[in-house]
Amino acid sequence: MMRRIRLLLLVFPLLAAGCWNAHEVNDLAIITAAGVDLTEDGQIEMSVKIYLTSPSGGDSSSMSGQPTGDKGTSVVRSVTGINMADAASRLQKEISRKVFWGQTDVFLFGERMARAGLEEPLDFLLRHIASRERAHVFVSDSTAMNVLKLSPPIDRSVADALVAMADQQTGLNISMKDLAHMMVGKSKAAVLPIVLIHEGIGEQQSFPFIQGAAVIKNGKMIGRMDEDATRGVMWLRNEIKQATVTVSPDHSGGYVSLHLHRSHTRLLPKIEGGRWIMTVRITGQDDIVENTTELDLSEPDHLGKVEKELEEIVNERVKQALDQAQNELRADIFQFADAFYRKYPKIWKANEDRWDEIFPKVDVRLETELRIARPGLIGKNFFKQEQR
Amino acid sequence: MKLSNHLRENVRRLEAVYHDCADVVFHDMAIGGHTPAMLVYIEGMIRLEELDQHVVAPLLDGPGRDHTLADIRNRTAVASIEEKRTIGEIVEEISGGSPVLLVDGHDAALAFGLSAWEQRSVEEPSAESVLRGPREGFIETMRTNIAMLRRRIRSPKLKVITMRIGTRSRTPVAVIYIEDIAKPSLVREMLSRLNRIEIEDVLETSYIEEWIEDNKYSPFPQLLSTERPDVACSYLMEGRVVVMVDGTPTVLVAPTTFLSLLQTPEDYYERYVVGTAIRWLRYLFFAISLLGPSLYVAVVTFHQEMIPTTLMLTMARSREQIPFTALMEAFLMETMFEALREAGARLPKQIGSAVSIVGALVIGQAAISAGIVSAPMVMVVAITGIASFMAPRYTIGIPIRLLRFPIMFLAGMAGLLGVILGVIVILNHLLSLRSFGVPYMAPLAPTSMRGLKDVLWRAPRWMLNRRAK
Repeated sequence: MMRRIRLLLLVFPLLAAGCWNAHEVNDLAIITAAGVDLTEDGQIEMSVKIYLTSPSGGDSSSMSGQPTGDKGTSVVRSVTGINMADAASRLQKEISRKVFWGQTDVFLFGERMARAGLEEPLDFLLRHIASRERAHVFVSDSTAMNVLKLSPPIDRSVADALVAMADQQTGLNISMKDLAHMMVGKSKAAVLPIVLIHEGIGEQQSFPFIQGAAVIKNGKMIGRMDEDATRGVMWLRNEIKQATVTVSPDHSGGYVSLHLHRSHTRLLPKIEGGRWIMTVRITGQDDIVENTTELDLSEPDHLGKVEKELEEIVNERVKQALDQAQNELRADIFQFADAFYRKYPKIWKANEDRWDEIFPKVDVRLETELRIARPGLIGKNFFKQEQR
Repeated sequence: MKLSNHLRENVRRLEAVYHDCADVVFHDMAIGGHTPAMLVYIEGMIRLEELDQHVVAPLLDGPGRDHTLADIRNRTAVASIEEKRTIGEIVEEISGGSPVLLVDGHDAALAFGLSAWEQRSVEEPSAESVLRGPREGFIETMRTNIAMLRRRIRSPKLKVITMRIGTRSRTPVAVIYIEDIAKPSLVREMLSRLNRIEIEDVLETSYIEEWIEDNKYSPFPQLLSTERPDVACSYLMEGRVVVMVDGTPTVLVAPTTFLSLLQTPEDYYERYVVGTAIRWLRYLFFAISLLGPSLYVAVVTFHQEMIPTTLMLTMARSREQIPFTALMEAFLMETMFEALREAGARLPKQIGSAVSIVGALVIGQAAISAGIVSAPMVMVVAITGIASFMAPRYTIGIPIRLLRFPIMFLAGMAGLLGVILGVIVILNHLLSLRSFGVPYMAPLAPTSMRGLKDVLWRAPRWMLNRRAK
């Protein structure tokens, strides 16, 4: 009997407290993407893309509660506040439903915001229990609100489009968690993909796309990298998943295009008599997708030539990225600091404060080894032969 | 009360017992044309033709005047004849269907084993059908049922102890076990529990089940019931005891564990790979049938971030016009489903199909287009419905159907925390149960690696040591 009473006592508070944080799906304002900009007068402007679930917004079809499968219409709301929390609470005041951050997959920061510093917004977003650490983070070339206002024709919403593009890994793909890791890591530097807007021509609507990278140091954006350098950054960060490289081997005329099959980058730090050396070992396998040279790619010798050319091009890109990071921006966006720290924790601790001086002088040695795994079904380009 | 030497006296007593029993026949006859005798039987419970041919006819020609009871026995061509010396014994025999012959001058009566009554033929049990394996099922006559077991285990070690339970119905009950496999203590315990039963009638094994189970308040069945002789035999071979009641095709198996209620004979008749796969499918859907709607309610009202974004947006659209909360919706639909199921269960087949058509409309398309429930909810209810049909035994399906509702409420109140609380309470209860001294959750808890061979997967037959220790 005592046990039964105890059980009742256990259940009763649940019933009494009942549903204090319960929210039906149809009482939520689902935010699919959020953007943060800095206004001229230094205030935070928070814009959110809210997915419209109410049928009265889009189609006014029958009473059938079924999803109509059309492109869900979204609306952008924007508020300003002195900080993120203030803006978020003002946002709730303007929206009749409970603002729901749990499905927000995209966070955009306007360039001005990024240059002013990301610590404040990130603290709010990482502290907030509902927002996802897996959400993708971007820096917007124009204001974040401008990007949110787009509705790209292919995808359901701008959030879907950006997520899909980031997941392809043709450009950088940085999640909230990655960003936090990089920012609090030993190097205090991070990269974020930049979103640009492709202006619509005629009927075609405008759409966002990812190009280049924003370099962030000590929480503030300090510069940009162009497309090629960004690729180099991705090679160094072991993030490259898709790459099609076109090379022109010596004295052959024409081009060979290679498609990356798989690759792996290892950072091997070494300290030798006060010299900080970083060996970057890039290994990978490529497939040949096109060949307009006179090389017969079924010959191992010819393959060697192409491989060498390929390695050179990759090295070039990596060097470009290294050059920009080490000399122009002086930001350790490749997390060399963490690699050194892991191998030489004591030496690194002693030199922790000097890292900004050491990093530009780190001797980076590239050991690139790319193999051609599959030359394709044909060896030579046989059309060319026939023309002769 | 002992019989007297006078026929008249004995008949008077019997007639007093059977007054106003129109179906009891008192057949007056004279053995050999001179000795008065009385044949007493119940219409419809005897083989009348054989009685005429092998008892009445030879006796009318009869032995001489100074015959003994043995002479009478010798003249009749019946294999089973028993001498009874008290009125009580005679009444028992007559009520059991055996014709009884009382002869003047003897203080004993002869009971002929000629009882027979109309009985259902042996059919496949509809609740436990299999694709491969024997299709025989128990019937309502106990002696036929015992014969079915004996035919499968032709060993003299197969022991059958009969008793009568029910102060009024005097129903024959048999306790069946294999002598050198079943623990003697288990058999003793079973017999003593059966002897303690104080009941007027036993119409079904469930009458005695409620008397002999360990925990009388649990919703979970602590004895396994089956209509299949092959299942009963397989449990006998594991050292368990089978209890059989005359008048019902369902027999009880004790002790029973929770996991044996989730097994089907086909697990053993199919190849072991298939058996294992199907077993896991069953475990999965068993969990779904308990937790399906509650998980949906919890996720939709508390943990929206757990739903994939695309699905979430679609769901939000479909729920837009629903006037009820997810909990209300789930409760409504589940109740409706249970009602439909109960309505369909008792209807004749022709009307049953009508119910399913109406049901499909009520908890299907029409409910969605009327804006009462959302499409995902209908799916959840349907999946849960299918899952609950997968419970291999009806008796284990019922508590699960019942417990679904409290867990649903907990989910609506406290989300996944509530679901976990409910599951913990149920598991606690299951772990505290015992069936004839055996822990209900064995071999999971207490864990026995050998027992798990028949739980986590169905080990091939040559690896199965089936005897439970």
